Amino acid sequence: MQNAKDTFYEALRNRIIAVNPERTTVVRGITRPAILVEENELPTEFHLADCFRLRWLQTTTDANGCMPLLTMSCAIEYETAGSQGNGGMDRGRMLAQMDGELLAALNPWPQYTQKYNYTPLPEGKPATPMATNIWWGEPAFGTIEVKQNRLARTVTVAVMSYQEAGEL
Amino acid sequence: MADISQAPPNGVMRIAQTSLHAEGGCSALLRMPGLAASGDDSEQLGLATPQFQDLSLGPVAFHTASSNTRLMVSAVAVLTLVQSLAYDSADVLFETAAGVLIGGVLYLITKCAVAEGAGRPYCYWLTLQPPAR
Repeated sequence: MQNAKDTFYEALRNRIIAVNPERTTVVRGITRPAILVEENELPTEFHLADCFRLRWLQTTTDANGCMPLLTMSCAIEYETAGSQGNGGMDRGRMLAQMDGELLAALNPWPQYTQKYNYTPLPEGKPATPMATNIWWGEPAFGTIEVKQNRLARTVTVAVMSYQEAGEL
Repeated sequence: MADISQAPPNGVMRIAQTSLHAEGGCSALLRMPGLAASGDDSEQLGLATPQFQDLSLGPVAFHTASSNTRLMVSAVAVLTLVQSLAYDSADVLFETAAGVLIGGVLYLITKCAVAEGAGRPYCYWLTLQPPAR
């Protein structure tokens, strides 16, 4: 299950970079692509603006096949205050731009990728390819939320994978 | 929020600092995470072990009542940390912090409010969230 989460994040991050390489943010002093998984970062109540934040929600299992089929719901949250030079008057446009980037990353074919095991990374080894793929459905865009000087939106997408034998 | 990173402490800030010293306030440590490794995917996947450093916030006033937990920190102590760590502002300092250690318990910072006198901040009120039980 964790491998599917990691693989989806890596795939989405690489697609976001391809769509807009300028979309970066600073996390713990390092500039990196503006996409992160909330549960992999330090707990905080402060949300980075102009950054995609992934949050995993419910998981359902279908054990009828030869391998259990997992469907995990992923919420991708993002918000923007617009640009300082425009006094925030372009926050609607910047939110629309983020909508477009996310759609361009999630929609194009193929909507699947090979699943990888990333636990060897801290030892300096590459990720290990696994036997099955992960795939995802169409993104569902939520309504715009007004947060004082920011506009925010949450997009949900279902990520599916098979739980391979011996995989935790 | 007013920028305190450039000018030296003024009289109001010193009064706040002295009051907290005189009241024998409790001590608190600001837990700051170390720098992330650049281009390291294991950092982004939660596989890395971050380093932390605990920095003194000086004497503070700790207030807790029902579900409301707040910490009053002098602006002089915050100014010292902002300058030594080269942060742009106190806002960025507290947003980057992993939390506040009080009596060995790590509290999450949920909000930061500033009290100003003569146009300069003299203390900061941090709203804290205790760890889930």
